[in-house]
Amino acid sequence: MDFNRRDFLKSASIASAATAAACTIDPRTPIEHYLPYVQVPDDELPGVATYFSTACGECASGCGLVARAREGRVVMVEGNPDWTEGHGLCTRGHFGIVGAYGPERVEGPVSGGAGLEWDAATQKVVDAIKAAQAAGKQVAWLGGYRTGSLDTLLGEFAGGVGLRRVHWEALGVETLLAATRQAFSVSTLPTYELANAQVILSFGLDFLGTAYGAMGMMKGWAAAKNPANGGFVTRLVCVEPHIGVTSAQSDSFLPPNPGTELAVALAVARLAADKVKYPNASLLASVDTAAAAQLSGIPIEKLTEIADWITDRPSVVLPGGAANANDRSTDLAAVTFLINDICGNIGRSVVFGKEQSYGTVSSYADARALLEDARAGKVGVLFIDGANPVYNFPESDKVGEALDAVDLLVQFANEPDDSTRAKALVLPPGSSLETWGDANVTTGVHTLQQPAMTPLKNSRSVGDVLLTLAKALAVPDPAAVAAAPAVVAAGSEEPAVIAPPPAAAAMGFAHDSFRVYVQERWRRRVYEGVGTFDAWWVTVRQMGGSFRPAATSALPLTLAALPAMPAAIAGNDLALVIFPSTNLGDGRHANRPWAQELADPISTTNWTSWAELNPKTVERLGLGSTDSVTVKTASGEVTLGFFQTPGVREDTVAIVLGNGHTSMGRYGTGRGVSPMKLVTTATDGGSGALATYQTRASVSRSDATSDFFALIGSLNMDGRPIALAVNAEEAAAHPTGKAGEIVEIEKVPWDRRLEENGIHDFFPEPQHPTYRFAMAIDLNSCTGCMACVVACDLENNIPFVGPDQARRGRGMSWIRMDRFIEGEGEHMDVRHMPSLCQQCSHAPCEGVCPVLATYHNLDGLNAMIYNRCVGTRYCANNCPYTARRFNYHTWTWPESMFLMLNPDVTVREMGVMEKCTFCVHRTRAAKDSWRDVRETVPDKALVKLTACASACPTNSITFGNAKDASGTVAKLFENPRAYTLLGELNTLPGVRYLAKARHHVAAAASEATPAGAEPVEPAVIKEG
Amino acid sequence: MKDMSYSDVNKDVLRPLFTPDLAYLAVLTLTLIVLALGGSCWVYQLVYGLGVAGYHPPVFWGVYITTFVFWVGIGHAGTLISAVLFLTRSRWRTGVYRAAEAMTIFAVMTAALFPAIHVGRAWYAYWLFPYPNQRQLWQNFKSPLMWDVFAVSTYFTVSTIFFAIGLIPDIAAVRDATTGFTKKLYTAMALGWRGTDRQWHHYMAAYGFFAALATPLVLSVHSVVSWDFAMADTPGWHSTIFPPYFVAGAIFSGCAMVITLMLPLSLLFNLERYMNVWHFEHLAKLCMFTGGILTYAYFTEYYIAWYSDNQYEWGTFMDRVHGNYWWVFYTMVFCNCLAPLVWWFKKVRTSYIGLFVVSCIINVGMWFERFNIIASSLSHSFDPAGWVYYYPTWVEGGILIMSFAWFFLWFLLFIKIMPSVAIAEVKETMRPPLKFEPEHAAK
Repeated sequence: MDFNRRDFLKSASIASAATAAACTIDPRTPIEHYLPYVQVPDDELPGVATYFSTACGECASGCGLVARAREGRVVMVEGNPDWTEGHGLCTRGHFGIVGAYGPERVEGPVSGGAGLEWDAATQKVVDAIKAAQAAGKQVAWLGGYRTGSLDTLLGEFAGGVGLRRVHWEALGVETLLAATRQAFSVSTLPTYELANAQVILSFGLDFLGTAYGAMGMMKGWAAAKNPANGGFVTRLVCVEPHIGVTSAQSDSFLPPNPGTELAVALAVARLAADKVKYPNASLLASVDTAAAAQLSGIPIEKLTEIADWITDRPSVVLPGGAANANDRSTDLAAVTFLINDICGNIGRSVVFGKEQSYGTVSSYADARALLEDARAGKVGVLFIDGANPVYNFPESDKVGEALDAVDLLVQFANEPDDSTRAKALVLPPGSSLETWGDANVTTGVHTLQQPAMTPLKNSRSVGDVLLTLAKALAVPDPAAVAAAPAVVAAGSEEPAVIAPPPAAAAMGFAHDSFRVYVQERWRRRVYEGVGTFDAWWVTVRQMGGSFRPAATSALPLTLAALPAMPAAIAGNDLALVIFPSTNLGDGRHANRPWAQELADPISTTNWTSWAELNPKTVERLGLGSTDSVTVKTASGEVTLGFFQTPGVREDTVAIVLGNGHTSMGRYGTGRGVSPMKLVTTATDGGSGALATYQTRASVSRSDATSDFFALIGSLNMDGRPIALAVNAEEAAAHPTGKAGEIVEIEKVPWDRRLEENGIHDFFPEPQHPTYRFAMAIDLNSCTGCMACVVACDLENNIPFVGPDQARRGRGMSWIRMDRFIEGEGEHMDVRHMPSLCQQCSHAPCEGVCPVLATYHNLDGLNAMIYNRCVGTRYCANNCPYTARRFNYHTWTWPESMFLMLNPDVTVREMGVMEKCTFCVHRTRAAKDSWRDVRETVPDKALVKLTACASACPTNSITFGNAKDASGTVAKLFENPRAYTLLGELNTLPGVRYLAKARHHVAAAASEATPAGAEPVEPAVIKEG
Repeated sequence: MKDMSYSDVNKDVLRPLFTPDLAYLAVLTLTLIVLALGGSCWVYQLVYGLGVAGYHPPVFWGVYITTFVFWVGIGHAGTLISAVLFLTRSRWRTGVYRAAEAMTIFAVMTAALFPAIHVGRAWYAYWLFPYPNQRQLWQNFKSPLMWDVFAVSTYFTVSTIFFAIGLIPDIAAVRDATTGFTKKLYTAMALGWRGTDRQWHHYMAAYGFFAALATPLVLSVHSVVSWDFAMADTPGWHSTIFPPYFVAGAIFSGCAMVITLMLPLSLLFNLERYMNVWHFEHLAKLCMFTGGILTYAYFTEYYIAWYSDNQYEWGTFMDRVHGNYWWVFYTMVFCNCLAPLVWWFKKVRTSYIGLFVVSCIINVGMWFERFNIIASSLSHSFDPAGWVYYYPTWVEGGILIMSFAWFFLWFLLFIKIMPSVAIAEVKETMRPPLKFEPEHAAK
């Protein structure tokens, strides 16, 4: 063969080109640059986390928060353990970090879609305010609740420029405030001390979900449900139209005829007053209990029983919530205060002195009046802050048009939402993890919000903008009018009321920044003069605030006249209930993909909206499981999928609020439907609150395909012993004792021949020399709130998979919240169970992995070696708890979201199996740091170590070392209610559940002998 | 075969070889197109991940494992026919065993694709093989999947050797009938076979030895495959009946596949004198026998599930009847238990139509049997929270069809390259030619 020079060169060039092509980097692999710091920040050590105690900014509650930052970026938020008003962090609080890294955050101020500098932006506002003042137009503020320094600053700013302040929230407290005004002649809200109540009668307050102050009430709930607390497990009676996350915990679920909750309250008040010989009984003389029973459809015997329950034991009666908002809401809330007074609960479980703070509170009617003025062209400048009126107002209000009629719309928003108009001036205030601020939680409890990282975008906090505006407008400084006292005692600080703060305490605007303003306000109003301020301030910044809850007290009831009996809502149609989503709140979290992907605790669906319909209604309408329904009211109609549940009345349809946005970023837009399309603008007479429960709707079958799907495959347990419950009386009689005393566990038929040799098992239990990490989960206080799930998601770099994948069950959350509904009617039994890897000692997953990618380690964990996994998925098949998750695709953290990845946890690639490993990076870190002092990790450092245990708002999850016999977990393992899930499989799990204690255990699941479903002792072994 | 001579046999069997006609080329092209389309489904899956398949956790195994077990099952008949029936001196095996053996090897080759298709990271599928490496990887020999690796690879090796040994005299016959380059090739493959007494003596000893070696594998492979399920704790899988039940099912499906393949083969290539109703009837009888075992096993499974009083077990079995997969269950029962019953009528089992149609039904039924076991058990496991409905996507369908294309590609090539009927063995069944007979004289 001729092979000349030219041929040689040709082949050589082809060969080198091929080699170069083969060595080219896969374009999907990100190119990473490792750059050293030019100057290392003082407080930063690469690889070591920095913790900031701060305040949560996701709602006005301002709960205590600890932000964990790595290399300058916050990677996790957790509850502040020093904070007094709750355990852990609620579900929605976790989304602050997701929002901080939201891919749709605006880069800086935006006017009419074009970016501009801050100076130009503030000048624009100043000019507009001056023009409005000159033209005699209003300058108005429409926002969510604000407490603390921002409320003070806003108050003084409003006084100076004649700002019309409206603070309205869809899940607001205006009816409750109106009711306390009626009942106690004060404009503050009491705190409910559930720990002091053995009977809770709730008229729809979502106190374990979206209600303001829920964190405190969940803490109280955990104490109330503990059988060791007073020797009685609290009984929850819910009088409301549907089963939500709170009423799911009820022992008695009593949905009255739509709109007649007030009749029930009046009847119960009368019956209770008669029973306890209430001194002011004449007030109730007009109540006809028989007529009330007739009207509400709840038999008089049941009403009497309720009255007996709440008078025989310390109780609390909770007013109505968002799902129960009708035109008599204020009256209902006032009557609940009356019942509390009858039962002697005021000062015991309904306490004043330590009030909930909401800053300025306006009603829907106030907000609507403002928007009417705007529509009429009377508003020159309108600020929107922490509110989304276009979404949250009834669609028939046409809020968008009203906003368009304003000369300058100034919206403080990090991301555009439904209310962002085309010509609006959008001012990004920055995430609460980036800015200074504070919150007043309850009297005496202040949380300080301090930046935990550098702002990602060119943002300025609302406070800074207001200070700039005040200076530019030369607003007269109220501080100059009266010199402020150097120290103001804690007791005399401003109550959270509508009245402006007293001029004597004026702060003025002469502060360099909002940070200085906050510090100065704390110096004057929170600091109690003990030690130097500077030393105190350091402590405050370390603690994340000042937590000195005020002493509680009682107030005399001043209710003058009893509200009249309500009339049932007329019409043949169905009553419409609009309830807030536990995960999306009032819709503000809709652009948080992890919030969208979190399953609803009751319907277990995600990424969409749904209507709840009773099986009988479904049958009547002839609906198939894949059909959707059209819900039509006088205001409009929506078509959506439905969830068939016995947890809603036959004559009622319940629709979730939170989705159905027209413009809410890539994750929130166009998912599900907004129930606000259906709502009429009826209001509550007492408070001017929106009466969503006043609407009647007709429901019909639609040809559209339903996008409803349930992630939990079965409505009930099919008689299987999964989430167990025991009788509450029995649980209270055995607060402590031997494991299995009430719930019989571990009835594995041991072979006698083995037992004679002192062993249980053919295969010896694995050795755990020092640690056997273990977890106890108390299903009794667990409310299924999903906080553990989302905390785990964020801590362990668990991606969201999106709606299409989620409905194929491919969601990656390591904790699955099982939900089972047993029975129906009053004693409907809803069980929740966080189901995670049980870290079995005899793990079925370990034996079957051909490449040893999962193995048992010396700490008792079923450890994972992600890089070794080939993806046979045999382990997942063999897990009886279905605790394993598989990476079916390459999941992504789009754009800036990758910044929230926890560097301590591997990001798993496509084709790899993953699961919970009890936050192995945290246990490793704890072991390492305690090994430095030659000790094992003590119990107190372990109990809340994992992300789920740390997040749990009811303290239901306890982590620890089972080898430590005196440890908390070892003790809980010996609780009479403790059982191992599917213990008869002899998997020897490291997780034990404590059975729920209910006053009525559903018969469907045979709780008496849960393990008895298995052949307990086979005859052959018994004989031989 | 009375009036046939040895040379007739050679002529008949070698006729289909080498020169492909238009119809053959058309079928081959179609097979290649389907293979390419199905292959692109696999490439698509490799790029985008297993999510393109229909997996709905906790159903983590689906069509791929179903099809794997299906093909391993198909691969059973060949060795059974060639080895076990050889040892038991069943004369009817002679005509069909060669093609059945080829089918076995191709079926195992098809099955072997599926572990790689099924795993999440196919590019690391070789980690399943224990070999010294610098990544400190070692395998878990407790895992039934490892046993699978060994069982299937051993079966494949032994079957291939057995197949190759059986081919030697026939390859020599091909060698003698060809010229040029082809002759050189077959000369090499014939390993110097001359047909001497001494060679025949050694050859028969070796053949018998390999037959004995292959026989236990017939039982072991599918027993081991069944342990993938039986060793797991999943209700519906965790059962000691699985090994015999799977082996019976494998022979059942394998024999049915032999009928499905050989019947058209014998008709198209005029091999009816070697493979005819007599042979197929025997295969049908074997199917009836193993089908009976299978039906009994189905019944036993249900009986034990009920008798155990284990609610998980019973729940799974009732779900198979009443749940999402009821149609799979009834398809399986119809195809595997009821349809073969028509073969009890001699008229049906001796008619080509009756044989072919029922054998196809059995093939379908046996695929659904595996799907029934895998999908329905996983979709109705212990925790009711994880009860789902898994259904395959077009990607899984494409890869399933690809597996048939892959299998038929090899079979089509085999028909053109190797003698489909064992020439030497057929001659054994004939009366040896005598010196004065004209045929011998002519030779």
